Amino acid sequence: MNNTAASPMASATSSGGRSTGKSVSFAAELQSMMYSLGDARRPLHETAVLVEDVVHTQLINLLQQAAEVSQLRGARVITPEDLLFLMRKDKKKLRRLLKYMFIRDYKSKIVKGIDEDDLLEDKLSGSNNANKRQKIAQDFLNSIDQTGELLAMFEDDEIDEVKQERMERAERQTRIMDSAQYAEFCESRQLSFSKKASKFRDWLDCSSMEIKPNVVAMEILAYLAYETVAQLVDLALLVRQDMVTKAGDPFSHAISATFIQYHNSAESTAACGVEAHSNAIQPCHIREAIRRYSHKIGPLSPFTNAYRRNGMAFLAC
Amino acid sequence: MASAPRPERAPRLLAPCLTRYPPPPSPTTVGFLSMEEEETYLELYLNQCAAQDGLAPPRSPLFSPVVPYDMYMLNASNPETAFNLNPEVKETSGGFSPVDLSFLPDELTQEDKDQPVIGSKHETKENSESQSQQSRLPSSSEQDIGLGLNSPSLSNPHSQRHPSDTDLVQASPEKPDSNSLPLASITPMSPVTSVSECCGIVPQLQNIVSTVNLACKLDLKKIALHAKNAEYNPKVRFLISLLLTKLECNGAISQSRLAARKYARVVQKLGFPARFLDFKIQNMVGSCDVKFPIRLEGLVLTHQQFSSYEPELFPGLIYRMVKPRIVLLIFVSGKVVLTGAKERSEICEAFENIYPILKSFKKA
Repeated sequence: MNNTAASPMASATSSGGRSTGKSVSFAAELQSMMYSLGDARRPLHETAVLVEDVVHTQLINLLQQAAEVSQLRGARVITPEDLLFLMRKDKKKLRRLLKYMFIRDYKSKIVKGIDEDDLLEDKLSGSNNANKRQKIAQDFLNSIDQTGELLAMFEDDEIDEVKQERMERAERQTRIMDSAQYAEFCESRQLSFSKKASKFRDWLDCSSMEIKPNVVAMEILAYLAYETVAQLVDLALLVRQDMVTKAGDPFSHAISATFIQYHNSAESTAACGVEAHSNAIQPCHIREAIRRYSHKIGPLSPFTNAYRRNGMAFLAC
Repeated sequence: MASAPRPERAPRLLAPCLTRYPPPPSPTTVGFLSMEEEETYLELYLNQCAAQDGLAPPRSPLFSPVVPYDMYMLNASNPETAFNLNPEVKETSGGFSPVDLSFLPDELTQEDKDQPVIGSKHETKENSESQSQQSRLPSSSEQDIGLGLNSPSLSNPHSQRHPSDTDLVQASPEKPDSNSLPLASITPMSPVTSVSECCGIVPQLQNIVSTVNLACKLDLKKIALHAKNAEYNPKVRFLISLLLTKLECNGAISQSRLAARKYARVVQKLGFPARFLDFKIQNMVGSCDVKFPIRLEGLVLTHQQFSSYEPELFPGLIYRMVKPRIVLLIFVSGKVVLTGAKERSEICEAFENIYPILKSFKKA
């Protein structure tokens, strides 16, 4: 791995007094994740700790709300339906989640086809395991859909701009790497919260909860955690690029962010030399990103987004 | 979708063209030659052409379909006069009317390939397949010659006779990835070696899943007790005993069938009136290694509609090829797994299709 510091106990450094004595820390993994999402080669430890804190807070809140929802319907476990219910307001993010679930189904179908041992058995037992997540999602959205717009998402083939931008950024990043760096980058990309399921559960302190999430719900939570980190990095990169004042360029505010980012990265690789700290995302970028994201402009802004319990808007939903 | 008879699809290359117009000896065997016969014809013909330099052997048969070998030689050496020769060819070949399109294979549907390849009017499926099978080796030179020939052919009244030629020739410019291949000379190819000519790599079959209907009631417990390599899982209604072997290229399908027969015999020996019906291959899995690292981020961006790459979910890129309908798992290391095939040829074809794409995303 690439990180320098980050022992599991080093969690209590920054971010104003939350999380005292948290024994489980994802700071090291987060540093790798941020690198794979577009941060510098060695992201700052402070930034990783702050991101961990933000993600942790948001997930705990999400879990609490999901627990309330499932309590309302008298269930004993938190199911993926509860999480889908919480996300129903934001179409784009919901669509991304659905796509993720379908891809997960598809991948297990293919891998099962290659791994012969289960194949026949599955075929003969009526293949009721295939497309499990897709069925869950479809059935649930069917049941809560009043206007038909949720179900329309299944046929929707629009390009997801955020994902597109991430893909382009990754492509740009990898184009200039040599094969050793690229191998490392790929390893970083493969990191996810679902790979470390038990650590993730401990991190969220699931055992002390009354109503616990089931397996598929945990998958979705891991995905939402990753999405949150990705959103934070996206926004922080935008903020950082905004902070760079280009003297003498009167239209710098009008040029699209990706364009500027592209040219910045091209220049910085040419200049090379000092890389890590000058390019890494700073905690101030993250804070500013969150502030901007939470700030909703408009007459009804105090009344929208029902999930802003402790003043921080959910990034993943 | 067009329905090609199965045996014909197996040897892909020039064979489809040649089967339609073999040299005079056996015109009646059009279309259903066995593998061996087609190979012989091809070998003969290609050896002839290899003696000439210049033109693409695959192209000439399309200019003058039913022609004895000596006429081919003339065509090969002199592209400009190819069309001039055709009137003579018409006479010599006998029953070949000017606008006789019967030489075109049955399926005239033209299917979109996942690459910006052949988009010409009545390009036949087989022609497009044969082109792809040659993995665009001749096409790079075809392009030079073909474009030059386009003008004369269009103005020539005889051009009607070979609509597929002009189409084929026009198709060449539309294959951008062919230009990336450095080959300029044409090497003669036979069906068996064609796959290895382009990149020296042949996908190895890892697994074949097939089913057969024994058409009789079985007492599972009895079989499980008496037969070797059998397990009896009460949860599943049928006996699960798959014979898994690492199979080599050509023998794969027959070995699978053999294995199934063996099991039927075992069941028979135990006293059940087992038959051997409906042997069907459900799935074939192949794998190979292109031996260079691949930049998957680039691939997923340019082939978005076919690929999905979620490294946090699965380390490989899942590429859904439309034609043939195969799913490829492409890994950064260069390993490629192909699955979902019903025939060996589909695996080879899919790999042929993907190889130039992978090369363009090679991580230096």
